[in-house]
Amino acid sequence: MGIRGELYEWDLTGVNFTSILELPTAGQEYSIFSSIYGSSIEQTALVKEDKFVVINRVACKQGVSPNEYELNGTELIKWNPNMFVQIVIDTTGYYRDPQNLYHAGISGMASPYPVTVERINYYDLFPPVYVIPDQTWDIRFTLFNDLKKAYENGLFTTIKSDVILASVFVDYTLYDGTDAILARKLLSLGVPITIDTVQWLRQLILQNKGLDTETFDFYLKAVREIAKKAKEKRKLQGLATISDYDPS
Amino acid sequence: MPVGETVILNNHPVLVPNNVHTVPLRAGIPYDIFVGNVGNTLDVPGELKAFQYIVLDAVAVSPPTLQAQIYVNTTRYFQNPDRTVSQGISGNLVPYPNGKGGIINFDYREGLQPALYISPLQTWGVEVTPLEDIPEYTGVNVTDANIAFCYVKYLLIDGVDALVAKALIDANWELSVQNIQKYKEIVVKNHIFAGTAELPDSISERKRRV
Repeated sequence: MGIRGELYEWDLTGVNFTSILELPTAGQEYSIFSSIYGSSIEQTALVKEDKFVVINRVACKQGVSPNEYELNGTELIKWNPNMFVQIVIDTTGYYRDPQNLYHAGISGMASPYPVTVERINYYDLFPPVYVIPDQTWDIRFTLFNDLKKAYENGLFTTIKSDVILASVFVDYTLYDGTDAILARKLLSLGVPITIDTVQWLRQLILQNKGLDTETFDFYLKAVREIAKKAKEKRKLQGLATISDYDPS
Repeated sequence: MPVGETVILNNHPVLVPNNVHTVPLRAGIPYDIFVGNVGNTLDVPGELKAFQYIVLDAVAVSPPTLQAQIYVNTTRYFQNPDRTVSQGISGNLVPYPNGKGGIINFDYREGLQPALYISPLQTWGVEVTPLEDIPEYTGVNVTDANIAFCYVKYLLIDGVDALVAKALIDANWELSVQNIQKYKEIVVKNHIFAGTAELPDSISERKRRV
């Protein structure tokens, strides 16, 4: 499959909550891919040499006030994370504050997940972020409402297993194989990389070169010539094997 | 904010349930969201480096009685019809978050039109002014409904793209992502054509030296 519209959702829930160590520290940044929290995949996202990634959207759980929690006895059944997400390519953070410094990123209030009638997203990731081959990309979240402190203060003792404490949503397009090569070509030409432009370039190449067999014939002849010369050289050097004397 | 604090520099405050409060804002007083010493602020106001441009797309505020005014150096963006400076655009028009309290951003969906450009070395910021006093809320009374917000969305154009942005402004083109990409395409195309063009006689007829 050459082009795939991929979605990734990361959730931190109360499933198997047994100790405070399973809760992220407030104000500290963690990866949704490689941290020990939530539904992580235990590996950073490396773009291989035959792939190209375009990140189209990031969103996270909305809510700011830490008081908007709900309890069932001592069990936590609702939590407002006050979370932010940052896109990191290799060692560079995408979002910067107005004084040009790295910061926590975009909040769940500006780019909420899920979008509701009362929380419509204000923010679109435009232009989208391109991740080229051999780069590593990461989505990092920061929670500013202190879940650990709330637990230490005795606010709750358990967390309901299906309560979503924090969530992040990523929408990206994965270009694979020849589509990734076309994407890189578009990038070098300064053309925006979208599904449409990649397909347009493919059509253009097929229209111009698809019926031309001369180039292929030339390279086939050249490769045969090189193989023949290499065989003769091995014979002269005394390095030839039985296959070099095979008339076929 | 955590109880006892009114400002957090260069970050967002870490909050603990029932140990928070909101900072009261007085009617008619403008508060700078970057260096106003209230809420999550910065060390310095927004100032662009020599290789940066900003296209300011949108501002949004809540509660509805809060108004936002953009300034660049000493000039304020929103004016009254009598050319006096106004207090800005209100949360009734640009609510944040969009949909809060049933108010939807309907008229300003496209943001500022035309967008506001901020050039290298200019200082910019946003001031919010309450039309009426916003009281302090403490403890369990602090909810998403009564926290004051201001949201600014801007496009930062950096490095080589800032050079393209300058060329676009000089040519009186609208500064947008699409136009920057279009301009780069034109530059690439011209370079390709320049490479295939016939050389002038003075060069093509010159003797080759090895």
